[in-house]
Parts: sequence; C-alpha cells; structure tokens
Amino acid sequence: MSKRKKKTTARRKKTNSPKQRRWFGKIWRLGLLLTGVFLGLMLPWVVYLNYQVTTEFEGRKWDLPSHVYARALAIYQGAPLSRADLELELKSAGYRAASQASRPGLYRVSGNSVDINRRSFGFHDGFEDARLFRVRLAGGKVAAVSGLPGGQSLDLIRLEPAEIAAIYPLQKEDRTLIRIGQAPPLLVTGLQSVEDRNFKHHPGVDLRGILRAALANLKAGKAVQGGSTLTQQLVKNYFLTHDRTMARKFNEAIMALLLEAHYGKPEILEAYLNEVFLGQQGAYAVHGFGQASLFYFDQPLDRLEPNQIALLVGLVKGASYYNPRRHPERARGRRNQVLASFAETGLLTEAEARKQAALPLGVTEKPRTRGTRYHAFVDLVRRQLAQVYQEDDLKTEGLRIFTTLAPSVQEKAQAAVTEGLNQLEKRGLSPTLQAAMVIADVSTGEVQGLVGDRNPDRAGFNRAIHARRQIGSVIKPLVYLLALEHKQDYSLVTRIEDEPLSLRQSDGSAWSPSNYDNKSHGEVTLLEALTRSYNQATVRLGMNIGVKHLVSRIEQMGVRADVEPVPSIFLGAVELTPLEVTQIYQSIAAGGFSVPLRSLIAVQTAEGNELVRYPLRMVPQPNREAIAVLNYALTQVVEQGTAKALPGLLDKPGTVAGKTGTTNDRRDSWFVGYTRDQVAVSWVGEDDNRPAGVTGSNAAMRLWAGLFRQLPIESVDLRMPDGAYWLWVDQNSGLLTLEDCDGAVQIPFVDGSGPTQSTACMSARKDDEESFWRKLLGKKKQ
Amino acid sequence: MVRKSNNLMHCPNLLLALVVVFLLSACASTAPGPSGPQEPEVEARVREPARQDSDGVQVFPLQNPAVKELLADASAAEQTGDFGQAASYLERALRIQPRDPEILQSMAEVQLQMQDYEQALNFASRSYDIGPRVGEICSRNWRTISVSKEYLGDSSGSAEAEKKATVCMNTKPRGL
Repeated sequence: MSKRKKKTTARRKKTNSPKQRRWFGKIWRLGLLLTGVFLGLMLPWVVYLNYQVTTEFEGRKWDLPSHVYARALAIYQGAPLSRADLELELKSAGYRAASQASRPGLYRVSGNSVDINRRSFGFHDGFEDARLFRVRLAGGKVAAVSGLPGGQSLDLIRLEPAEIAAIYPLQKEDRTLIRIGQAPPLLVTGLQSVEDRNFKHHPGVDLRGILRAALANLKAGKAVQGGSTLTQQLVKNYFLTHDRTMARKFNEAIMALLLEAHYGKPEILEAYLNEVFLGQQGAYAVHGFGQASLFYFDQPLDRLEPNQIALLVGLVKGASYYNPRRHPERARGRRNQVLASFAETGLLTEAEARKQAALPLGVTEKPRTRGTRYHAFVDLVRRQLAQVYQEDDLKTEGLRIFTTLAPSVQEKAQAAVTEGLNQLEKRGLSPTLQAAMVIADVSTGEVQGLVGDRNPDRAGFNRAIHARRQIGSVIKPLVYLLALEHKQDYSLVTRIEDEPLSLRQSDGSAWSPSNYDNKSHGEVTLLEALTRSYNQATVRLGMNIGVKHLVSRIEQMGVRADVEPVPSIFLGAVELTPLEVTQIYQSIAAGGFSVPLRSLIAVQTAEGNELVRYPLRMVPQPNREAIAVLNYALTQVVEQGTAKALPGLLDKPGTVAGKTGTTNDRRDSWFVGYTRDQVAVSWVGEDDNRPAGVTGSNAAMRLWAGLFRQLPIESVDLRMPDGAYWLWVDQNSGLLTLEDCDGAVQIPFVDGSGPTQSTACMSARKDDEESFWRKLLGKKKQ
Repeated sequence: MVRKSNNLMHCPNLLLALVVVFLLSACASTAPGPSGPQEPEVEARVREPARQDSDGVQVFPLQNPAVKELLADASAAEQTGDFGQAASYLERALRIQPRDPEILQSMAEVQLQMQDYEQALNFASRSYDIGPRVGEICSRNWRTISVSKEYLGDSSGSAEAEKKATVCMNTKPRGL
C-alpha cells in the first residue's frame, strides 16, 4: 500500500494536471498495444523471411550444373589430322577463325599452317596455361608443331576439350562460378559505381540512395532511377517476380537487411556476381558475369577489356532491353553511359574511357552452343556415371566430367548415318529406317563416337545403347572361335558339311535352317563357311561344340546374353544392343585383351579436385592364339566373303576385318568391322521390327564404309602370338605345301592344329632336296 | 512451410554428395597393403636383369617424340611415387600409340608398383604379344609376368616365365 502511494506521489510531481495525465496514459497504452501487435505479427514474418533468404543464399552455392567435356585433342608430329578435322575440333571447342590468333580462343589458317591460341585449361591431369602455337599439316598428318613467336619445335600439345554438355539443375540456369578474388577489379568497382556507390557502407538498404532516386524521379516525372542496393537486387534475383508492389519492396528491404546481418560484403558481392540475370539462351537463363562473359564474348571474365566489362555492367539494368545481339545500338549507348560513369568515379581516365567508347561491341555473332550436342553419347556418359552418382548430384555439384568422345569422329559417324540412310532411301529402301552406330578404340576401349538415331540432333530413343535386336550372323565368328579353341579337332582348313539338317526344338517342332542363297554347298572348309556365312555348316559345327559353350563364351567377352541355350542361337537368335556387339568385337579386334568399353576418363569437383578416375583395365580372354587365327578369318570375310564389296566402297588401301549380319525376313542389318585401331558397329532396321528389306551388306555395311572412308585405315595386325603360326597349305586339299607349289596359300594355325601330311609337290621337292644333299655330301666324301 | 520441405530435400542431397565424395576420395587414396614390391624390386627384379639379359641390345621401334615426352613424364611421376599420375601419362601415350610395347610394358611396371598384379600381368602379356618378343623388352615382359604370377600365387607359372625371360635373346619366335 505504502509503496503505491509513494509512486503516485512521484508521478504527481512530474505531471502538470490530471487531464494531461489521462491523455498520456492513453497514448502509452495504445503504443504498447501497437508495438505488441506489430511485434507479434512482424517477428514471425521476419523470421520467415530470414529463413527464406538464408536458405536461398546458402542453397545457391551448390546449384551448379555438371560440365561434360570431350577428350582433349593431342597434337604432335605425325598425328593423323587433316586441316578440316583440325578446324572441326577447334570449332567444336569454341574457337573462332580470325585474321590473327591474337587472343586465346582464336585461330588463324594460312595455307597448310594453322596458328592456334589455346586457352588456359584445367585438364583432368593438370592445369595448363594459355599458349600460342603453329601446326603445319601435310598429307592428312601433322608435319610440325612449333611454339610462337619463337618457332621452337614442340613435341606435344593438347587442345582443351570441347564442352559437349552441361547437366543442369531443374531451373534451367547456367553458371560459370567466379570467386570474388578472381573477378577483374574494374568489374567489382565499376559495378558499384553504376549500381550502388554506397555499397561498402550501407546496411543493405541505402536511405540516401532512395532519396536520391526519388528526387531524380520527381525531377524527371517518371521512374528513371532505382534506389535498390546491390543487396536488394540480389534478393530480387533470388525470388524473381516482376511486380513492383510496395509489399514486395518492403520484403526485399527486410531481406536485404537480414542478408547483411548474416554475411559479409565480399560474400554478398560474390553471390551477386554469380547470380544477376544477364541474358537468355534458348531455354537457359544466363546468370552471373562468368557465364555472361562466355555467352557474349566467348572469353573468360579475366580476359575482358574495359569496354566489355562496361557492356556487362550495363546489362544489369535490363538484359533483354539492352541485348547487344538484338539491339546493338541501344547496347552501345548503355555501354558508353557506363564508361562515362567509370570515368566520373575515376576508375578510368577520361581519355581511356573515350578510347574504349569508340570500340565496337566485340560480341560474338552467336553464343557458343551450351546445350547438349551429342545426346546419344551423353546418354552413355550418364548411364556410366549413374553407377557412382545420383542424378541430383550431377545437376547440382558442378562436377567436371571428362569423357572419351572425339568430336571429329562423332561428327563423321553422324554424317555417315544420315547420309547413308538417305542413300538407302534413294535405292528404294524405306524412309523410316533407323540406324545406330558405335565406334571405339580397339586397344583402350574408349568410345569415340555413338549415334542412336538417324537424326543425331534428336534426343530420344537411343538405339545404340537401348535397342535390343537379334544379331544374326554377327554371332557366327564366336561359333568358329569355339571350334578353333578345340585345336585337336578344328583348324580353318578342316572340312565340314553344309547340308540340310533338321533339329528338334524344345517345343517338339522341327527346325531346318536354310542358307541365304537357299542352296547347300556340300563339304566346305571352316574358313569358307565363315567367310560366306553358311547357315547349315555353322549350325552343324555348333551342334558339335554345344550351345551352352556359346552362351558362356559371349559372357566371357563381357556381355550378358539373356537367352535360352537353343540351337537357333548359332544363327544369331540373340538380342543384343549395338554397344554390346561392339564390346564382343573389341575383344576379338584387340587379340583377346578385352577392355570394358568406357566413355569416362575422370570426374572432378567444380574446383578441379579429382573424385574418380576410370583407368584402362584389361581382361584377358583365354586362347588368344585362336582369337588371332579368327582375326585372319574375318579379314577374309572382307577379302572374299560376304563383305567383299567393302574395299570398293572404302576405296583406299588397308586390311580391314569384319562380319555382316542379317536377321530373318531382312528385319535387321548389321555390320561389324575393325581396323588395327578402331572397331565400329552399325545397325539398320525398323523400330517396330517389321521386315525392312535390309541385309548386312546392303545397308549397315554401307553406313560403316561411309564412316571409314573418312578415317585413316591402319591394317589389322596379323602377326600371330605364341601358340599360333602361319603355314603354307594347299587351298584345295588343306595339306602342307610350299610357297611356290600350285594352289599354295598361307593360313594361320593354332599350334597343334596344322596339317601333318604334305602335298605331292612338297614331297617331291623334299626328295629333290634330299638327293641334292646326298649328291653334295657324296661328292664331298669322294 | 513449402520452403522448409524444400530445404529438407536439399540437406540429404548435400549429405549424400559429401558421402559420395568422401567415399570416392577414400577409394582413390586407399593405399594398397603393406606387403609387395616397392620401386627397388621392379628395378632389381625386372629392369636390371633385363638390361643384363639383353647386353645393351635394344630392339625398340623408333619412338615418336610426343610419346617420349609422356614416357619421361611418367617416369618422373614414378620416381616420386605418384603411380596414379604415371599411369595417367602412360594412358595418354597409349592414346597416341596404342600398340607400343614400350608404353605397355612401362604400364605393366607401374601396375606392379601399385600392386595390381593382375593388370601388371595383362599389360606385360599384351606388350609381349604385340612387341618384338626378343631383346630387353621381351625380358622385361617375362620378368614382370614372373613377379606378378608369384604374387598371384602361381609359383610354377612364375618359374616358367622367369625361364622364358632368359631366352629372349636367342630365340626367334615362330609366329613372326
């Protein structure tokens, strides 16, 4: 009680009258109420906004698309490289022809010489600086490589790889992240001079700036200036909405204040540099200065000249309104305004600004393609990556993915497929025919090109890796390989019967395979039966070996054949994809050193730290001597068998091995062929598997030839490994003979499988020789 | 609340990514077990005896300067014990000359030092198959095969390979 009294007395002392007292009390209570209501409503709202903006700020740091690179082209003396191929590789890697290779990313052609200014690049195995060098070409090869300007000879240099795809996050944005420390100083200061001069000092919202803008707008009678700070603009970019309501402005301001409270100026500026919207490329928004620099100038940011930086800074105000490709005059005006502002704030001298303002815009005609270029190949990359990575990581981690794709080979494969099918159409085949092609390096198993559709730009069903089709006679070499592995029973000159036969199938029905020409050919050698692809002989041979062995041999070659072991498999009633067929033939072409086909070399983090490397690993096949003998037989398919039209189509020297394949009712056409260094498979057929009127040699082989016409052909190496050797035999009897006897041919044999009897010609010669020695020795004795 | 669920979606991804990165880096940097040949063993059991077998006779095909440079880089990486980098250089060399017996044999020796005996065996076998099958490289092929087989537990195969190494200088193989 007494305390209360005291208080009242104290108040009384302060206030003048009871009336006034009541008035103040009312205001006080109202104030408290309003503050309470305000805090009660606003606080959760601010907490909510805080949550939103920090989530966005933190989250954005991770959302980087992964970049997929082709293989780096190695340039060295003797490298097989035509000028056209070199230019194709250069263009693919985003180089532009110019009268001088004065900047990285430019090249200059003069006669047989090409000067290249290579960009600096972080390769999968190390960073290399930009470098100017000259390549001299002659006869489809690199004649010399020299550094410029000195002209000293270079042993080896590589072009940085083309970026063939970016695996994007869902928002369809592309970014090339830059760090604040790497940004050109003129960009950092210039941006502030134009957009937010008080950036260093304000807490996220700049009251003076708002006043200044309001004044300017009042003067002009319309909105000419925005008072938004860089922080506010960043927030605006995070939640891109175009309404200009007060509520939105209010939220932006609160969030700007919150961002500044949480993060330092450099962090905010860095986020801004990477976030601001600066253009649109098709479906992809171009965000950030790093990306914009590539988009407009095809140069990394640190190479830009002041006028180019000014143009980019100018675009902040309105990337589509000032689009330099669409509205060059507007863009120029804006750029020069920015240059003037640079001069006004002392970032450039007046003279320098004037000089820069006189320069042309310097924007490339078209942006470099940044979308996926080789869908089918990138499909394979994704599939092989999926064994390690989640799809989401690919879209957000900014991984650098180094692949085996050779752009020039890929382009040739695409052309071979498209032109090949057009030619077939002219020859009366269906215009709806589809095709697939795979080409890989024999020794390393690196996939150099892959086509999955007659229109290579179409991203859809990828026949090269997804179309499972019967492979027909393409399987036959494995049947013969199994025979050659039984060296006590078979060699290439062993005779087998090509006669009608009837087999009982599991359902009780009879199966009587016929030959392609509907004839039976009687006794034929293994070599003839394989090169001419006789069905009856092959099934007979297969039945002696056993169908289960064939299935397990396919699996030994690295392909899972999900089939019932029935005799029709001997004629290719096995459904495999073109990629799987390539895998089988890689093993054969590499003399039994299987290498799992791979599209990946390495994966790095966005910062260039290696995450995983895909090294070359070999899986040796058993009986490599039999594989070597088979290799020879497959060269004979091209020389004198079902593919004998191939050399004429290729029209250049070199020993090639291959096998044709056709399935029932001419539904599928296959050709598998290889040179010493490259193995390729082509398939032609209809998607719905209807009869297509195609055979191995009339369709797929033509596509294959279309590809290898454009590639160097190194002859298949027919040296035999230990355990196999060449013998002269009589081509009719298969007996041992001598080189100069009639009918002598040289054939490889697995050790222990060769003939033991000799021809009359050889025996007679031996007798002669013996009598010669006898005479000689006899004379000596005398 | 919508944003919240969004954010929760973000977290596992991030976590997952970190786990993947961690696991991968663990894979990449996992050092092989303590036993096995170190560099001197390759020198002592493959290169030095091969030099003696061949008595200085070289039968290599002439090498492309680009390959030479990469082999030198690989050798330098090998000296510092960075076998992964050495293998990477050798792979680049193989892209240039996929059938060069010298590159294949160097790769076999690097694999030996990485204690991947199967791959060492494979690369040496391939080098022998497409190589000259005589001279120093032949001897290195067989000695690598011998050491690999020994570590793979095939002692008779190892002894046989050792024997073959010594006849690299006086037989002309039949298949050539």
